[in-house]
Amino acid sequence: MRRLATTPRPDWREHVERDLGFAFHTINDAPYWDETACYVFTAAQVDELEAATGELEQMALELVDRVVRSGDEAYERLRIPPSARGAVEHSWTAGEKNLYGRFDLRYDGLGPPKMLEYNADTPTALFEAAVVQWDWLEATFPGRDQFNSLHEKLIEAWKNFGLGRTRVYFSAVKDHAEDTGTVDYLRDTAIQAGLHTAVIAIDDIGWDGMRFLDLEDQPIEALFKLYPWEWLVFEEFGQYLLSGVAKVIEPAWKMVLSNKAALALLWEMAPGHPNLLAAALEPGVIEGTVVRKPIFGREGANLQVIEGGRVIAETGGDYGAEGFVYQAHAPLPAFDGNYPVIGSWVVASQPAGIGIREDSTAITRDTSRFLPHVFE
Amino acid sequence: MKKSRTVRLVLLGSAGLMIAACDEAPPPDGRFFSTVAECAAVKGEAECEKAFAESKATFEAEAPKFDRKEQCEAEFGAGNCETRESGAGSFFMPMMMGYMLGNAFRQPVYRGPDNRAMVRSGGTSYSVGQFAGAGRAAAYQPAQATPVQRGGFGGTASSRPVSAGG
Repeated sequence: MRRLATTPRPDWREHVERDLGFAFHTINDAPYWDETACYVFTAAQVDELEAATGELEQMALELVDRVVRSGDEAYERLRIPPSARGAVEHSWTAGEKNLYGRFDLRYDGLGPPKMLEYNADTPTALFEAAVVQWDWLEATFPGRDQFNSLHEKLIEAWKNFGLGRTRVYFSAVKDHAEDTGTVDYLRDTAIQAGLHTAVIAIDDIGWDGMRFLDLEDQPIEALFKLYPWEWLVFEEFGQYLLSGVAKVIEPAWKMVLSNKAALALLWEMAPGHPNLLAAALEPGVIEGTVVRKPIFGREGANLQVIEGGRVIAETGGDYGAEGFVYQAHAPLPAFDGNYPVIGSWVVASQPAGIGIREDSTAITRDTSRFLPHVFE
Repeated sequence: MKKSRTVRLVLLGSAGLMIAACDEAPPPDGRFFSTVAECAAVKGEAECEKAFAESKATFEAEAPKFDRKEQCEAEFGAGNCETRESGAGSFFMPMMMGYMLGNAFRQPVYRGPDNRAMVRSGGTSYSVGQFAGAGRAAAYQPAQATPVQRGGFGGTASSRPVSAGG
């Protein structure tokens, strides 16, 4: 695995904006999409990433099953409120399908990939991985390969949801370019799968006492949301969503996985697994240097690196009220002073490809850059 | 190869403003008429006859046809399907109750589940009201303005300056 300097395509900004509709290549005047370099893997390394991802997904699904069967004690540890537990159980036992998720892996090509986190409910950086890096590959390394069949797998997955003629509403927070861009892309793939679709901002969704409604007061029977379940359940309409009056993607059972407490439960379920990092819900359990992460944290906020009982590094933020998970520290590898995290995607629970984000520091934030990759 | 063979976009980028026009709800100025006579009182006989003929033709061409009554009723509701005869035998179709006419809009209206008045536009179905009672003679009632609350989702996001994704 290596990092290779590459020459950006001339006029790449105009090209991605005009031809791909990729509006957020630069964020707050700082580069986000970065084609000054790419990562190069061997075929064996891609196979290793793919196998590890498949195995992690199977373990995650096994965990959901165990949690649903254990009931309250497990839900308690995962901070899933009592009001949501019935919906979690029902969506799992009814076999409600999921669309996607993204494992964040630490990998340097030399040892097994290690799962840092699983964004199972609202993963982003999808468009960059599915489309923008594919487009870059075709222009920059035509004929070479990339671990990325996301686009085709997404279209195929939509066809298997059994939605028929039911219109799927795609919903995100208004005025957030990255979120609305992701949702627009997912809607694009759903349209290509033959589904009927519409868009609605999350705060425009109406409720008339019986059904969710769009801005023309038409019923919303299926909702794709780029908005976390753990926020929805505490909002005014959350209880109606939990009642199952509309089909929701991702399904409610993803709540078991979409919080970092699941990292500790996975370690308990499969201690010593080569693709897992040791994790616990209490301090002092994991040996060595440990990272303390808020259970519902986002984007590298409120992390603490603890060594020998002392905090040696931390980031700020507003998260942590629900508690923390303690995970063995696995420092990111450095490539030319940059620290990459591999975002490994599953679509319909099958490995579908990777996207790489790197930062010039060891903690990945929302300002990290997205770099393409190629493999030989 | 582990990459997608093709990546095509239909909505984003240069592909596409084509799709944006579809998936539209009927305009608020649409009115329901069950017969030409009913319409003529409001809009003039010639226009009403034309609209009725076009709506009927659209309905006959586009409404789904089913081999079995149960299939039709599964989609359109019990009692809302009619038997038709063709050279090849019987088939079943939803029941056209009349048509909806707006300034630039005319569509057949048919019975759907729960006595709803349904219109198809842009490939999907919309409710435009209710029928009181069963069968062809049922009276049409426009959609009631039930009080709709909004803003029951999204509050957490507005209190935090971060993306809802991750």
